[in-house]
Amino acid sequence: MKQDKHGKNHKFGMVVDLDKCTGCGSCMVACMSENNVPFKEDESNKKDSLTWMRVYKITNGKSFPETEICYMPRPCMHCGGKGDHGHSPCVSVCPAVATDYDHSSGIVSQIYTRCFGCRYCMGACPYHARYFNWWDPKWPEGMESYLSPDVSPRMRGVVEKCSFCFHRYQEARDLAYVEERDDIEEQEYQTACTQACPAGAITFGDLNNPDHAVSQLVEPDAHNCGKPKNPKAFRLLERLQTNPKVYYVSEREWVRKAGDNYLDGEWEKVKNNHGKDHG
Amino acid sequence: MKIDRRSFLGLGLGAAAGVAVSPATWKLMDDSSIWTQNWSWTPVPRDGEVTFDNTVCSLCPGNCGLSVRKIDGRPVKIEGRADYPVNTGGVCLHGVSGLQYLYDPSRIKTPLKRTGDTFEAISWDDALELVATKLAEIKDAGKADRIACVTNHGVGTIPGLFGRFVKALGSNNVYAMDTMDKTWEKTLEKMHGVHGTLGFDLENSDFVLSFGTGLIEGWGSPVSNFKANSSRKERGATLVQVEPRLSNTAANADTWIAAKPNTEADLALGMANVIISNNLYNTGYYVSGFGPGFDELTAMLKENYSPEAVAQTTGIKAAVIVDLAKRFVKAGAPVAIAGKGKGATPGSMREFAAVHLLNCLAGNINTKGGAWILSPQDYDQWPAVEMDDAASEAIEKPAMDPAGSVAGFFAKAGADKSVEALLISDANPCFALADAQAVTKAVQDIPFVVSFSSFMDETTQLADVVLPSHTFLERTEDLPSGAGMARRVTGLAKPVIDPVFNTKNPGDAILAIAKAMEGTVGDSFPWESYEECLEAVTGDLWSDLSDQGYAAVQETPPATRPSVDFTFVAQNPAPIAAEGTEADFALILVPLDNVRIAAGSIASSPFAVKTVADTVLLGKDVLVEMNPETAKANKLSQGDLAVIETPRGKATVKVNLFEGIMPGVVAMVKGLGHAMDENRYVNGKGVNINELMGPVMDADSGLDAVWGIRAKISKA
Amino acid sequence: MDSALIPEGAKRCPFPVFALGLAAVGVVVLWGVYAMGLCWFKGLNQTNMNDYYGFALWIWADLAVIAIGGGAFFTGLLRYVFGIDELKNIVNLTVVIGFICYSSALLILAIDIGQPLRGWFIFWHANVHSMLTEVAFCLSLYFSVLTIEFIPLILENRQVDKVPFFHNLGHNMHGVMAIFAATGAFLSCFHQGSLGGVAGVMYGRPFAYREGFLVWPWTFFLFTWSAAAYGPCFTLTVLKMFEKITKKKLVKDNVVHLLAKISGWMITTYIIAKIIDTIYWATVTAPSQGFKFMDFYSNNSFYGVWILVLEIAVCGIVPAVLLTKKSFRENPKLLLTAIILGTIGVCLNRWVMVLQIMAVPVMSFDTWALYIPSWQEVATTVLPVAYGVILIALAYRYLPVFPQERELNAD
Ligand SMILES: Nc1nc2c(c(=O)[nH]1)N[C@H]1C(S)=C(S)[C@@H](COP(=O)(O)OP(=O)(O)OC[C@H]3O[C@@H](n4cnc5c(=O)[nH]c(N)nc54)[C@H](O)[C@@H]3O)O[C@H]1N2
Ligand SMILES: Nc1nc2c(c(=O)[nH]1)N[C@H]1C(S)=C(S)[C@@H](COP(=O)(O)OP(=O)(O)OC[C@H]3O[C@@H](n4cnc5c(=O)[nH]c(N)nc54)[C@H](O)[C@@H]3O)O[C@H]1N2
Ligand code: SF4
Ligand code: SF4
Ligand code: SF4
Ligand code: SF4
Ligand code: SF4
Ligand SMILES: [Mo]
Repeated sequence: MKQDKHGKNHKFGMVVDLDKCTGCGSCMVACMSENNVPFKEDESNKKDSLTWMRVYKITNGKSFPETEICYMPRPCMHCGGKGDHGHSPCVSVCPAVATDYDHSSGIVSQIYTRCFGCRYCMGACPYHARYFNWWDPKWPEGMESYLSPDVSPRMRGVVEKCSFCFHRYQEARDLAYVEERDDIEEQEYQTACTQACPAGAITFGDLNNPDHAVSQLVEPDAHNCGKPKNPKAFRLLERLQTNPKVYYVSEREWVRKAGDNYLDGEWEKVKNNHGKDHG
Repeated sequence: MKIDRRSFLGLGLGAAAGVAVSPATWKLMDDSSIWTQNWSWTPVPRDGEVTFDNTVCSLCPGNCGLSVRKIDGRPVKIEGRADYPVNTGGVCLHGVSGLQYLYDPSRIKTPLKRTGDTFEAISWDDALELVATKLAEIKDAGKADRIACVTNHGVGTIPGLFGRFVKALGSNNVYAMDTMDKTWEKTLEKMHGVHGTLGFDLENSDFVLSFGTGLIEGWGSPVSNFKANSSRKERGATLVQVEPRLSNTAANADTWIAAKPNTEADLALGMANVIISNNLYNTGYYVSGFGPGFDELTAMLKENYSPEAVAQTTGIKAAVIVDLAKRFVKAGAPVAIAGKGKGATPGSMREFAAVHLLNCLAGNINTKGGAWILSPQDYDQWPAVEMDDAASEAIEKPAMDPAGSVAGFFAKAGADKSVEALLISDANPCFALADAQAVTKAVQDIPFVVSFSSFMDETTQLADVVLPSHTFLERTEDLPSGAGMARRVTGLAKPVIDPVFNTKNPGDAILAIAKAMEGTVGDSFPWESYEECLEAVTGDLWSDLSDQGYAAVQETPPATRPSVDFTFVAQNPAPIAAEGTEADFALILVPLDNVRIAAGSIASSPFAVKTVADTVLLGKDVLVEMNPETAKANKLSQGDLAVIETPRGKATVKVNLFEGIMPGVVAMVKGLGHAMDENRYVNGKGVNINELMGPVMDADSGLDAVWGIRAKISKA
Repeated sequence: MDSALIPEGAKRCPFPVFALGLAAVGVVVLWGVYAMGLCWFKGLNQTNMNDYYGFALWIWADLAVIAIGGGAFFTGLLRYVFGIDELKNIVNLTVVIGFICYSSALLILAIDIGQPLRGWFIFWHANVHSMLTEVAFCLSLYFSVLTIEFIPLILENRQVDKVPFFHNLGHNMHGVMAIFAATGAFLSCFHQGSLGGVAGVMYGRPFAYREGFLVWPWTFFLFTWSAAAYGPCFTLTVLKMFEKITKKKLVKDNVVHLLAKISGWMITTYIIAKIIDTIYWATVTAPSQGFKFMDFYSNNSFYGVWILVLEIAVCGIVPAVLLTKKSFRENPKLLLTAIILGTIGVCLNRWVMVLQIMAVPVMSFDTWALYIPSWQEVATTVLPVAYGVILIALAYRYLPVFPQERELNAD
């Protein structure tokens, strides 16, 4: 496995407390604003609306007044892929290496100028975390002035997705380098969505670092591809072995169950079996 | 020429190699791909030095502290200011989208004057002169009391300057847009005989009982509430939400109690009855025992609000009511809150008083985690207004709406058409007030309307003169907290960018008009600029304001122990029903506040609109939420186009089935349906629910009291 | 008018009639070219694809034409490698069809990708783990092979053949054709397989995912097998169409029946494998990921279980039976039924393996995606068909595509 120059491998990840999330959408907009995500006149077709962070609304399906809802923020999961070796569903299929797994950070990159728009990665990603630029990005007159130079605006015809605000990582590393520090601090690299969330529902940090809040919240099992040991934590579609680095926490059982697909009766058997494999 | 196998292969390979090594092929291929990577129509943001500026957001009454990241002086990102006492780093999506407002396509770029149906660009000098002359004419004609002014909010020095200006002319007609704060003020007057507002110490309360307040849908100071709500788990605090539909707040609460619409007061009174009849109320707090009317109240509650009776009215089981009352009053620091949705509409005084009665019975007034009675914000100290005879005479005439209700003002203005001139600053009443059509008509009937606005919104479109304002990111302004916050903070907004267009701070505009009018009006405004005025009137606060961007943080409850007068509640004021008869309109339409949609004076930004779910807005259609049972009864199914009709209007909408809403109730989001041609991100999307609503004035408060209206719906 | 170009002894319709026909199809081509231009200049927003339905009509058309074009490699393989000599009488047709199908596939890909001018990155920045990389390499190489296989036929045109250079060139190329056919068969086996692999490796998509052998999912083998099995059905279908339109017999029955028989047995073996694969997937693979078989079929009637029945039973088992039994395949009506069903069957398989995959949600709270192609997509999909009609018409008119034509139509 590749290592960084200090011999340390980070594994950046995110934990979302679904009992705190209010569905307010600040994370979505903070992400759009941080990453120069364009918008168009009609964004109500959610199947062609670029939202690196998308907040799904899910319900327990019960009728009034037993109904419950939960908001589920979904950035790119930065999947480690089968065996957590970096063969993310998307990375492994991209024919032109326009998206790649960085073993030193666990971040799945996306190189817009490399991507030629075949959309295979989108088909391969079960989370719909990838978005295609069907249109040229266009801003109303004058509005380009707010675009940030830290992230290139994308041309039409390429795929984009959440980068875990990679440029913020680069900035933090640069600063550490200039200050002759070995490593960056937990607070030095935080994503825009984490920072904006008014409910404090998102926690971001290094899953490999036991001092970081993310590790403490989910207790990733290093011998089991990072599966959470905390029984209240789960990952989306755990059974597909995509090994996401985005974890969710909820006290509500129906919410945890909604995180994956189960045959009749299966959930009852696995719901308390955390840290162990299904079946 | 003879071709054998060898020469054929040679030729073939030679040709292939020739093409392959020809630099032209490769160069062209490479160049063309590089061209796609550098399309001139894909912007390339300039790089430069990174700086941060602090300011305060005024897109809503929350007034969060913002930190604006700039590159080479160009703002590129808005974040929450981590050391700001309101939001401590958090920020809502509207605040984050703030930069989009700078370049909003509907921004007004220069002063405008109406000629017929169109606007004509004019210079600032001409515009100010025009307004000054016209107002002087009205004043000289002895009609100064017919000049009115509507601002978006009522506190701070910019509204202060407007109020002062209108007063110097000789009019009492100064109104701020109605909010729940106005109802709270009147409730406090009735129940405590004090002038002030109510703040809720949510971050320290261990039992929050919310009567439909959208604590996480943007109520009050949104980010502050998000934070208080989110710390609930760690603090072991409880949130109970009373509401006919599963709002986000209800979904996030520990308990959701679905009371029928507009029966919240009954529930509160039923709970009060349980508390009093079980002697559970807090006597210790009120050393002198309870104030006037307590015995009458006890008797009245006993007679009318038994758990069984209340169960009938509200649709909540009697046992649940009893249990809730006991849990509430036995909690360490309980607090009950009223003010529905975002708190942007006033609401019924009966309801507010009933809810506040619970606070009184729990003895949590001015306690940690309770409800704090905060005296009015009065840090701004103004010199006396100078008035000539005409002004002194005119000011004797009462305001058109004595209750100070902006809805009441427009109703009167529409009815007797006596308003001569209207100044509107940062407010959009033609969109944001119930019965928007009637308000629009009233404004159209006013001969001279001046709008101080950044955007060509529904109200500004009707103006005779438009004096374009700086947006909140371009202006200096003091922003005192309110909006249900217990903590007191006064923030200072500072420009983070030079004005993008030929606009002014509305404070400067009003100063310039006053000066142009000369006489006592001019003399009442001795300051050279708005900033000078601000510095002068904020007095002691100024150094803190200018140094740290905020001042006067008060975090402890007021020390007073106000007495309670129960007579108002004891009189058992009649409930105010939603407009319309059940026979004609079988359903109740309630407005739905969605935190992702700006519903007040400001239209949603493109980013905000982008986050709106397809179950709320689909293409140009708004979706109306209803229980599958309701849909079935009205022969509707998911996605159907339907016509919804209320006593005030009708509209075409789409159907969205949602299990979490009470059968018989339908809900429609506020803040859609803008008619703003320039802004294609909001224009014509959905329906403005205010066109279906009507104000129902509360005889006790003089304010619009109702939440919802009767309605019927059928397939289009 | 153009009689000098027409193969000796062959009868062709009068030139004006031919030209009129060409012009009619030409209009369709122009419509397609216009739509293609729109897609290139305005971008893929001209389609109705979206982020859920990133692969749509085109990719299906792509896979379908490659599958039905599979008659070329398979017949070539039988003729040149296995030495089944009778097939020389139909191999020209398979080459022309193959050339049309593969050039169409490449054209479609060039329209389908978001950045056509960067298409070559797939070669330059190749990711060897990606099935699509394998597809791209094999597809382009095999297209070159098909071109090489097509050239000698062109050189046999009466006028061209008169030029000694071309005559000798053609002669020599025939000599080496076995090498190319073998290479082509190998390449084709691989890219047909990789196309199947494209779906099968998506382990995030339970509807698509298949276990397999080493790095190749079972779909890899099933795709190659099905292209070989059903490709000849399409070749024969085209032949029957030709014979119908020209009102001539062009290939002798024994050749047709031989190819039909081979196809029948291939389909039989394929469909057995496909059934086993489906059962294993439905009872082992998908349930291990939390999915019931009916989860994939019960949301909407468009993607109902009928599609599986149609693919496997009606368009699989039925043609297999009709083509393997001598009396059935020698009955012209039944033969025609079988080859048409076969052609539909393989196209349907490609549809399911590309488009139904996109439609089925994976997250428990996600929604199905359905889509209707835009006219631009339809026009650009019809474009290769129209182009194919023109090319095959020209080939038939001016080239000796059917060596037995003269003999069968001697008056
Ligand atoms: N989201 C996002 N993705 C991107 C980009 C982006 O801007 N945003 N940029 C793209 C571009 S242009 C590039 S070049 C790639 C870069 O992508 P990578 O090449 O993956 O870049 P790094 O992560 O910077 O470095 C790779 C590894 O090399 C280690 N390393 C450093 N020095 C040494 C050394 O002396 N010896 C050894 N053995 N290892 C060393 C680093 O610590 C790190 O683990 O990322 C691409 N991906
Ligand atoms: N801090 C830090 N510095 C680094 C590195 C790092 O890891 N950290 N990595 C180094 C490496 S490996 C690399 S490759 C370089 C990359 O360094 P740069 O080339 O500077 O990288 P970017 O910031 O990705 O892009 C530069 C600019 O190109 C603009 N741009 C985007 N698309 C287009 C387009 O289509 N046309 C035009 N004309 N402009 C466009 C972007 O908006 C941006 O302003 O950075 C190097 N420097
Ligand atoms: S910002 Fe936080 S609370 Fe709001 S939707 Fe995102 S994660 Fe949830
Ligand atoms: S979530 Fe999707 S895009 Fe992100 S790494 Fe996983 S497969 Fe790739
Ligand atoms: S769309 Fe771009 S990133 Fe995705 S697989 Fe194709 S080339 Fe790779
Ligand atoms: S981590 Fe960064 S890129 Fe990803 S969703 Fe959050 S803000 Fe967007
Ligand atoms: S909550 Fe209100 S004040 Fe705070 S950022 Fe949002 S809009 Fe601005
Ligand atoms: Mo790079």
